[in-house]
Amino acid sequence: MASPLKKSPGVKDRHDDMFGNGRIESDINSSRNQLQEKVAEMENFAGHLEEIFLTVEENFGRREQHLEHHYTDVLQTISQRYDERAARLEDEKKRKLEALYTQLLACGHALDASKELIEEAKEVYRSQDKRVFLKTVVPTLKRIEEFAKEEMDLTLATNLDFETPLADLSDVKSMMDSINIVPAPSAPVINPQMANSATQTSLRVCWSLFSDDTVEFYELYYRLVLQNAPLDSTTAPQVRKAKVKETHCTVKELLPGAQYELWVTATNTTGISPASEKALYMTVPSPPVIKQRQCCSCPEAALIRWESGNPDPVDSYTVELTELKGSDGNEKGVTESVVAVPTCQCLIQLQAGHCYLISVRAVNIGGPSDRSKEICISTSGTFFYLLEETAHPCLSISEDGFTIFYGDEELPISAMALDDDNFTRCVAVLGDLIPVRARHYWEVEVDDRTEFRIGVAYEDTERNSYLGGNNTSWCMRHILTTSRHKYEFLHSGQSPDLRITVNPVRIGLALDYDWGTLSFFNVDLEQHLHTFQCQFQRYVQPCFGLDSPGALTIHNGIEAPKYAFIEHP
Amino acid sequence: MALTQVSSNKCAGGFQKVFEHDSVELKCKMKFAVFLPPKAETHKCPVLYWISGLTCTEQNFITKAGSQLAAADNGIMVVAPDTSPRGCGVEGEDDGWDLGTGAGFYVDATQEPWKSNYRMYSYVTRELPKLINDNFPADPERMSISGHSMGGHGALICALKNPGKYKAVSAFAPICNPVQCPWGQKAFAAYLGPDRAAWEAYDATVLASGYAGPPLDILLDQGRDDQFLSASQLLPDNLIAVCSEKKIPVVFRLQPGYDHSYFFIYSFINDHIKHHAKYLNA
Repeated sequence: MASPLKKSPGVKDRHDDMFGNGRIESDINSSRNQLQEKVAEMENFAGHLEEIFLTVEENFGRREQHLEHHYTDVLQTISQRYDERAARLEDEKKRKLEALYTQLLACGHALDASKELIEEAKEVYRSQDKRVFLKTVVPTLKRIEEFAKEEMDLTLATNLDFETPLADLSDVKSMMDSINIVPAPSAPVINPQMANSATQTSLRVCWSLFSDDTVEFYELYYRLVLQNAPLDSTTAPQVRKAKVKETHCTVKELLPGAQYELWVTATNTTGISPASEKALYMTVPSPPVIKQRQCCSCPEAALIRWESGNPDPVDSYTVELTELKGSDGNEKGVTESVVAVPTCQCLIQLQAGHCYLISVRAVNIGGPSDRSKEICISTSGTFFYLLEETAHPCLSISEDGFTIFYGDEELPISAMALDDDNFTRCVAVLGDLIPVRARHYWEVEVDDRTEFRIGVAYEDTERNSYLGGNNTSWCMRHILTTSRHKYEFLHSGQSPDLRITVNPVRIGLALDYDWGTLSFFNVDLEQHLHTFQCQFQRYVQPCFGLDSPGALTIHNGIEAPKYAFIEHP
Repeated sequence: MALTQVSSNKCAGGFQKVFEHDSVELKCKMKFAVFLPPKAETHKCPVLYWISGLTCTEQNFITKAGSQLAAADNGIMVVAPDTSPRGCGVEGEDDGWDLGTGAGFYVDATQEPWKSNYRMYSYVTRELPKLINDNFPADPERMSISGHSMGGHGALICALKNPGKYKAVSAFAPICNPVQCPWGQKAFAAYLGPDRAAWEAYDATVLASGYAGPPLDILLDQGRDDQFLSASQLLPDNLIAVCSEKKIPVVFRLQPGYDHSYFFIYSFINDHIKHHAKYLNA
């Protein structure tokens, strides 16, 4: 009966051996690792203890020495006092004894004198000779009378009590007291600002004390530092104060993105320490503001520009982009970040045919700001606004920024205030095309009575010449003559001789940097009109001009039709 | 319908071939050239018909125009037929270079002695395309047409008379208004008789004024120093005026310094191949 019972655990054991060896080994390994960790921890702990022991011993030794020193001081002071006092008493005793002795001598003299007088009187009395008696008695009597008149001073010439003035032992007392008194703390050391320790309106400040110091509380002082402020103390910002027991403090209700000067003092029963060094801390900046009208994009990239929104400079910016997914764009994809952007603009690589939400944070030592308001970028086509600062004064631009007008009315000279950047001859304006050497497509809608010039130009194309009239611009020109519509494709003032039978009213422009082409299409007919061949050495900007009163509208952000770039399949 | 390969040369990654066959319409042996792009080995390709000018055979275009690289890049088959029936023994067919052999004018003749053989219009628009579609990897739905001079006239009338049949049309120095020019008047009078109404059925300018088909995008190139332009044989202004009026999209480019030769064609053939590719590969 035993054998089957014994057998089954045997089977099980073998089973364990077959499948459990690895597990046991790994158990052992993990135990060993745990033990090794424990040993390391304990060694660490022992090290700490040793350190603490040494510190305690050292502190104790120092304390003992201090006490001994103090004790010697006190004893010395007391014995000095004793010696002084003893000497003074000795002097007094000597003075008193001398006085008494003098008095004693005087008494002896007086006694002798009276004895002599008595003897003389006795002799007179015993004298037998009456005549002699009578002769001597009267002067003797006179002498006795006179002697009797002399009054003897029998009071003690000196006071029996010793003068014992109260001993002034206050210094000794204070010395005794000071054995148990702590010294006033030394100046604390304020730490430099820790990264990411601030918010927009608060700062976390840390400092440390010297290990010997005993501190009851600290006082933290802080003051806004005004950049570019005049050195006039009357306008200096107010100093604020916080009282804390810890060696750290979070100060609140501050201005965002501002610099603060902070210092700290330590106080105990004995007194206040000197102030620490002054440290400069920054609050987290305000979120930047994206400049919507200065952002542009194309299927491969977007150029985002923003304003800092902070008076003080920030360290860098972080651009965050989230792809919108799903047909309705409700699903959000992963958020990617471009960090350490040093300036207020960033060119971000994107994928074509998507929609992105892009926001910006400003970052300083205090940490990153909140996100700016988001901008939505669609990479279906090339999108740009006009560079309104380049517009000829006679040109007005619609509120949405995409229609330009050239009115009939004459402008007064005063309204012709020109900047260096304005077109002065050609009534034109440049667009703000993203600086990416890719394919770009946009469309222009015109009336077939409008005389226009549309194309591209280098950003520094001469402002006082006509578009297409120089070698820095390429454009299609529509001229209305009495008999017909004339189209030119101008560069350096030259155009091919070309006739177009159907007047285009919606013109597609396809710019291909790689192939060095700028093509024009009649969008409604999908008709190719002309292609300029030019290896654009620099980035070009779209340009739009009106040669006679009228209007044209720019259509932007549209997907390039397939035929627009068919020349280079 | 048996095809006989006359020649085959590897070209631009594909093959430039010439075939011969017995034409039903023309009642004679006809040669035509076909360029097969590399893509034709695996796919059905669109076909561009090239219609040559006066005095040409199927050889001029394939040896002088330099179209093969662009055609290969765009995956287009190019078919170039001869310009007239040959060796039919029609009386007077070899008397002049502008009538008869090498001068079929792409009409179906109605007059004796031409009417039984000189049926180039039917040959180019029906017989040849069927032959191509039956014997080569051609996509019958995607065909376009182009030509030079008399062939430019041919290309334009084929497109204008068959709305929707050709996806695109272009021409080099075409005879735009044959009823108004000496060449056209001579040929039409011979092939079609004295009735000018019959001529108008083969005149691009007249056809354009009555065109009502789907929009046609026409690309025309013309050399400014073309002697036949100044001789008023080509008359492009007449066609442009009608197209402007009828809103038929034309881009007409007057190329300074160029004459009527194949050097001119060679210079702009790429633009034309791209023009056709845009519609054939859309």
